[in-house]
Amino acid sequence: MARKLIDISHISKSYGDNLVLDDLNLYINENKFLTLLGPSGCGKTTLLRILGGFETPDQGNVIFDGVDITNLAPNKRQLNTVFQKYALFTHMTIAENIAFGLKIKGKSKAYINDKIKYALKLVNLDGFENRMADQLSGGQQQRIAIARAIVNEPKVLLLDEPLGALDLKLRQDMQYELIRLKNELGITFVYVTHDQEEALTMSDTIVVMNQGYIQQIGSPEDIYNEPENAFVADFIGESNILPATMVEDRLVKILGVNFPCVDTGFGRNKPVDAVIRPEDIDLVKPGEGLLDGVVTHLIFKGVHYEMEVTANNYEWLVHSTDMFPVGTEVGIKVDPFDIQIMKKPESEDEEAVPIEE
Amino acid sequence: MIKSTLQKIYLGFILLLLYAPILTLIALSFNSSKTRSKWGGFSGKWYVALFQNEDIMNALYTTLIIALLSALIATIIGTAAAIGIQALHAKFRAVMMGITNIPMLNADIVTGISLMLLFIGCRTFFPQFSLGFTTVLLAHITFNIPYVILSVSPKLKQTNKYTYEAALDLGASPIYAFFKVVMPDIFPGICSGFLLAFTMSLDDFVITHFTTGAGVHTLSTKIYSEVRKGIKPEMYALSTLLFVSVLLLLILVNTAPQENVKKPKKAPTKLRKATRIVVRRIVPATMILVIVGGGFFYSAQNRSSAANKVIVYNWGEYIDPEVLDIFEEETGITVVYEEFETNEGMFPKVQAGAVSYDVVCPSDYMIQRMIENNLLAEINFDNIPNIKNIGPQYLKQSQGFDPENKYSVPYCWGTVGILYNKTLVDDPVDSWSILWDKKYKDQILMQNSVRDAFGIALKYLGYSLNSTDLDELQAAKELLMKQKPLVQAYVVDQVRDKMISGEAALGVIYSGEAIYTQSENPNLEYVIPKEGSNVWIDSWVIPKNAQNKENAETFINFLCRPDIAKKNFDYITYSTPNIPARDLIEDDAIRNSTIAFPDASELERCETYNYLGTKFDNIYNELWREIKSK
Repeated sequence: MARKLIDISHISKSYGDNLVLDDLNLYINENKFLTLLGPSGCGKTTLLRILGGFETPDQGNVIFDGVDITNLAPNKRQLNTVFQKYALFTHMTIAENIAFGLKIKGKSKAYINDKIKYALKLVNLDGFENRMADQLSGGQQQRIAIARAIVNEPKVLLLDEPLGALDLKLRQDMQYELIRLKNELGITFVYVTHDQEEALTMSDTIVVMNQGYIQQIGSPEDIYNEPENAFVADFIGESNILPATMVEDRLVKILGVNFPCVDTGFGRNKPVDAVIRPEDIDLVKPGEGLLDGVVTHLIFKGVHYEMEVTANNYEWLVHSTDMFPVGTEVGIKVDPFDIQIMKKPESEDEEAVPIEE
Repeated sequence: MIKSTLQKIYLGFILLLLYAPILTLIALSFNSSKTRSKWGGFSGKWYVALFQNEDIMNALYTTLIIALLSALIATIIGTAAAIGIQALHAKFRAVMMGITNIPMLNADIVTGISLMLLFIGCRTFFPQFSLGFTTVLLAHITFNIPYVILSVSPKLKQTNKYTYEAALDLGASPIYAFFKVVMPDIFPGICSGFLLAFTMSLDDFVITHFTTGAGVHTLSTKIYSEVRKGIKPEMYALSTLLFVSVLLLLILVNTAPQENVKKPKKAPTKLRKATRIVVRRIVPATMILVIVGGGFFYSAQNRSSAANKVIVYNWGEYIDPEVLDIFEEETGITVVYEEFETNEGMFPKVQAGAVSYDVVCPSDYMIQRMIENNLLAEINFDNIPNIKNIGPQYLKQSQGFDPENKYSVPYCWGTVGILYNKTLVDDPVDSWSILWDKKYKDQILMQNSVRDAFGIALKYLGYSLNSTDLDELQAAKELLMKQKPLVQAYVVDQVRDKMISGEAALGVIYSGEAIYTQSENPNLEYVIPKEGSNVWIDSWVIPKNAQNKENAETFINFLCRPDIAKKNFDYITYSTPNIPARDLIEDDAIRNSTIAFPDASELERCETYNYLGTKFDNIYNELWREIKSK
């Protein structure tokens, strides 16, 4: 059974009239990779800064390993942060950067040198001791920032969109490196990002946030396959979110057509939202599916084709490895377990929003 | 091709225009001849003379220590302020930056006067507080802070704010994080702020002028007070050195930040480590050494900070400097010596009380005014036994302005008359009328002083020179207006030099100056016109707010000693009221000179000035302004 390391209870924070976090509760287990995911302005970075001690919440407490650290200064916390823009000390060498925290703790020279070597090896940058920080590439700088943080052997490493400034290839490499590091070091990672793919790849647990509220907490699979509301469904991956009516258990009426599904307990004839992932739609010959339509758009995406199929006045987004040219008449078929039924949104923040970044 | 040549010529021409004055100054500083109009060959002797002049060297040291201290303190305060402002909400930040910029845009004179008023205001709460080194330093810190903020702020803005947080995150305390992480980033800004502040402080005259006190001079105020007496070639040398040092500083300010930006690109080498040691250890250590060592040196040198002192406020060149040395040696009392140029300039300074002068030497009518304004303390004559040396006729004459002889001790006296050059004037000179003779157009020098100018006109018209009759004054004014086109210049101290060099034929002068000019140019002759003139007495008085009254009395008593009075007479050549001193004069011609000691019959035609009250002061001044502005 995992041990609760950080307990965040009833945290609220506002800047002026702008409420950033509202009565937020969250706990983080030891040795887990937890990701705070959400669009910019959702409060994820503020929450991370509260954990790091750079912001004080207006209300609520942060309990770390049984101790209330809400008002503890950042330099007194057993947490280390990797900042978005690396924040390396440009007037120091790499070795001096890494040794910074250890020197303050008064470690011996030999210990510090060992640690520098170890940390550089860990981030695959052996031999970089005497370089200056601004001589390195973005990815190298980021790895130094990580090395600088982990030599202090923190119990928790906070990472604030650390890969945001890197290009795609480098970002993917770094994702694997981070997972490897986490497993080797056995420290808890709290990771902030707005990139859902990054979150899905690395996390043990994802916390989806919007407008200061937690929308859903769960494993990457849960979040992806069973989004609890339109916001999560829309934010995580691409989706067809359709207004529907739950006719009875295991039967939902979408765009006037009855679809068999696996969900129960929504009552009879209740308005709901139905989520169907584009890759879960099978295109078949006309008449063989539940409804018919015409392909209106076709784009080649590499792994698959992305198509838009107009059927019953709705543009269905479809991913498929089979190609259907524009104008082809097709039938649409969905397996019952690929339809995810959600309650109608109760508040604005649960609505689907366009992804900004 | 032609175009670019033309461009270069044009640029060269503009640069020449810009730097011509300074080049002239530099050239003159190497001119071995004392006059400006003649090149006497290349020489560095003015530089030697400059460094041998103790007063100027003292002023130089004061300037440097004030510049260094004020720049250093302003840098610390300014940097802290910049950090505070940076942390503010954007809206308040703009407001704060605006507020801190105001002192920079404000006219110096406004800043200067308001600081002076504030400092004088402080006396209400701290009676011992007086204008001097501290007030100049405070003033300089005040006007330097905005410059530091201005150069540190942009650097702070560029700095990645997360580096500071990263340092905290790695366990650094806020102070450690600041010095280790933020400081190196903004160091170029701090450096250029410091240098800018240093230059500004070095450069300042107006604010220093208003906030300085007795005996404290920076180079700029020293140069100003020297220039009033006539420009000495040492001043050219000094100005040249000032220009060169400011130029060097400016070059430093402009190149320092760029160097620092480039540096981090290089990997650490031995050289880099060496420069780091120099920048971080040696430079600050040297600065501290200079300041601390300089502080001791200065306090040893600085007379104004001595405990046992007397602050003397006297006319320019009105005492033999050796007399002051002898006094200090004999009594152990340090003399802080300040000079004034006119009675009218002295009065408000004593009245304001920003500096508590201990002993002042005003003229007759001004003493009357000071008594009426309750500014003077009664002198304790028990401390001045040498009063017996002063001729009774002078004490009697003093009763015109000091009825009971309670407040003043006569120092010098003399008459006002016409000095003329025998080779340039062939008419007999015995009347003021010669000053209205068109023949001598642009050859006449008049005194630039209300009472002297009106005194002459009133006497010429046959009236009293203390006239309060508006018709008489109007007539005098019209007479002076008529004279104005004939006058070469209205001057004060320069009459002497101009008459010696033959630049003018006729000049109104004090009798004491006349004796000196004759010794320099035997063609000069002095006459008290037959219509009568002014006889004046300058006497020592002690202001009410004097803080060393007994020292002041010791000083007055010392000056009344015959040998000392004689020494002063030899130096300043103004008539002495000291009877035994006159008998000590070796030169028969001077001892019996009618210029220095005119016949009683001549003196009967002369009057002393009386204080005419504020109303007539204003009328005289108004009429004088009308004459001068037309």
